[in-house]
Amino acid sequence: MNRRFGTGLMVSAVALLMGMSNAWADATISLRFNDSERKEMRAALDEFEAANPGIKVELQTIAWKDSRDQFLREAAVGQGPDVVHIAFVWTQEMAEAGAVLPLDELTQYGEFANGFDDFIATDLTMYDGKAYGVPWTADTWAVVYRTDVLEEAGIEALPKSWTDLRKVSETIKEKTGKTGFAFAAANQMWFPVNYYIWSNGGNFIESDGEGGFQVGVTEDQVANAMNYFKGYIDDGLAPRSILSIDQPHDPALLQALLEGNQAIAMMPTNTYRQLLSAYEETYSGEPVPFTSGILMEGTEGPKTHLGGRTLVVNSNTEYPEESWKLLQYLASAPLFEKYYTNQFPAQKSLLDQIEYRKEETGFSTQLANNTRTWGAYAESGVGVGPLWNLTSRSFGTALSGQTPPEDAAEELIAEINRMLEK
Amino acid sequence: MTLSPNQRRRFTVFAMLLPTFLILVGFYLYPTLYNLELSFTDMTLLKLRKGGDFVGFENYADFLSSSSLFDIAINTVFWLTAISVACRIFLGLLFALLLNSRFLKNMRLTTIARLILLVPWATPPVVAVIAWRWLFDPTHGPINSWLLKTGLISDPIAFTADLTTVWPSIITIIVWNTTPLIGVSLLAALQTIPEDLNEAAAIDGANRWQQFRFITLPYLMPTISVLTLMSIIWTFNNFVYVWLTTGAGPGTYTNVLATEVYIKAFIDLRIGYSAAIGVTMAVAMAVFGALYFRYFGLNEMQDKVG
Repeated sequence: MNRRFGTGLMVSAVALLMGMSNAWADATISLRFNDSERKEMRAALDEFEAANPGIKVELQTIAWKDSRDQFLREAAVGQGPDVVHIAFVWTQEMAEAGAVLPLDELTQYGEFANGFDDFIATDLTMYDGKAYGVPWTADTWAVVYRTDVLEEAGIEALPKSWTDLRKVSETIKEKTGKTGFAFAAANQMWFPVNYYIWSNGGNFIESDGEGGFQVGVTEDQVANAMNYFKGYIDDGLAPRSILSIDQPHDPALLQALLEGNQAIAMMPTNTYRQLLSAYEETYSGEPVPFTSGILMEGTEGPKTHLGGRTLVVNSNTEYPEESWKLLQYLASAPLFEKYYTNQFPAQKSLLDQIEYRKEETGFSTQLANNTRTWGAYAESGVGVGPLWNLTSRSFGTALSGQTPPEDAAEELIAEINRMLEK
Repeated sequence: MTLSPNQRRRFTVFAMLLPTFLILVGFYLYPTLYNLELSFTDMTLLKLRKGGDFVGFENYADFLSSSSLFDIAINTVFWLTAISVACRIFLGLLFALLLNSRFLKNMRLTTIARLILLVPWATPPVVAVIAWRWLFDPTHGPINSWLLKTGLISDPIAFTADLTTVWPSIITIIVWNTTPLIGVSLLAALQTIPEDLNEAAAIDGANRWQQFRFITLPYLMPTISVLTLMSIIWTFNNFVYVWLTTGAGPGTYTNVLATEVYIKAFIDLRIGYSAAIGVTMAVAMAVFGALYFRYFGLNEMQDKVG
């Protein structure tokens, strides 16, 4: 009896120890993912966990507008998620802050199938000669049109220039009483403003040709841009409420497009895909009355930014190998085919395989032929984030009537100069 | 070594105060001193690991000479604080008088009226702002729908985006959410006023207004004085209402000191500069508090009441 009890005890102890050793072998890592496809991402992570039994992944989400500061604060005190979803333009800041691991410390755990050169915009991940992130998704903005409203207003051709856009908006208002072009005039005013300035030969910051940087736009050019967008609000072509709209995916803007009360908007790829899905869900079986086109031209051709998201590994991670494994899985083709379908992958080999819907041709043309990086904005040391905030606030003061555009333009240029000096 | 009874008593007092003292040092004094230290550095969110460099009074000089300071100060002192506190005190007093009135008692509505008054106060500020933003919404908001239906307006009003309506909108939200606290506090003070004073005044021929002016108001003044000071300090430092309603916009039209602290720290990433604004705000409020008590001191108020 005693011997049997002793044997049983020993077997139990061994089993317990084996169980514990298995538990020790398990790694729980966390992924901070900020897009709205949370359900799809969880399904993808379940697939990853099934293929990697020793790794569990906790999915975290935070609002995009808070995610940069939150991660910087966490990383500074040795905390934060293991793998983090950030914007292209934050990568250099994160590297400067020592918040993320350089890729050369991670590639020892495995290389990407098509190599790092297969990714686009890798220059935005470089800091001090090293890459600190993996470009994950690529996007840009294009113009979205509600075709039935254009038809109702008798408009046959899509506008090509900023002047055309204004005329088309006037016609739509006059013929249908609906809004032509409306935009998010608060925080994300930054994007249309840059597209306007770039297509008219300006740059908020450019290289001075001698290794330094300078303001590449005149006060008149900035004031013209302010007056152009302000005209839509002042002349009643766009509702004044857009002054408090931050994002192009704000429900007020998307609802107006969905209901056919607005004809034209500018937005990034994933917002457009969400809009199409929402329409198909709401008006199941009906033809989709949307199309997309490239941005407007000014004195020069249309240009938008090459944007996107990067995946980085937290420098505080206890599981660099597992984190890298997850990152490699997230950048693989099946993820974009099955789960993360609203986004374009940031790999040339995968981008070539994308089959665009006919409604998306504006986006594919824009992405292929009419994009540029933020370039000197990031390289100058001013940083895209601070310049973005400054410009959006400055345009906000002008568009709302708080400050005359000429004064706001003068203050904006002076402030950029101060930032460059510092 | 034996302690004398006096030493033992002192030791006991010290031992009992020590935990509170440590909590105060840990949660108040240390962050305050750390904030002060940060304000003399060029610390940014990107330098949290490396630490900022000492820049002396540069952050203070930059802030106090910035072109936006005047607008921010006006927004903070006049719109956010003075107007909203005045509205709250005035409406709170009206509510307190109404709740204490014979009219409501006779109608047996006192309890229900008090409960209704407490609903806005029990609503968290974030929820209050979200609810009011929906009420103000130009497309789907009921206020605009009602105004359009009644023909009072022909086009929807963008309450939180139009320069003429944005401050009144913010103040409406603050007043709605916070007036009940003032009302309830003043009601409690009202109920301590001896009834016979009003009766004696009535016998002497004082009318309702005279009773209010010479009896009720002097009795309420110590409470009003404290509530005003607390409301001013609380509102002056408040961030939630403005930020959640307008994000300091349109443009920077509703930017106040508290939102400027946030913008500089977490949008422009300038922690040191932001800390300097915080210290300036604390100094301004300390000076204000001292002056307030000097001119509207509680003791003096109590002397007046007798």
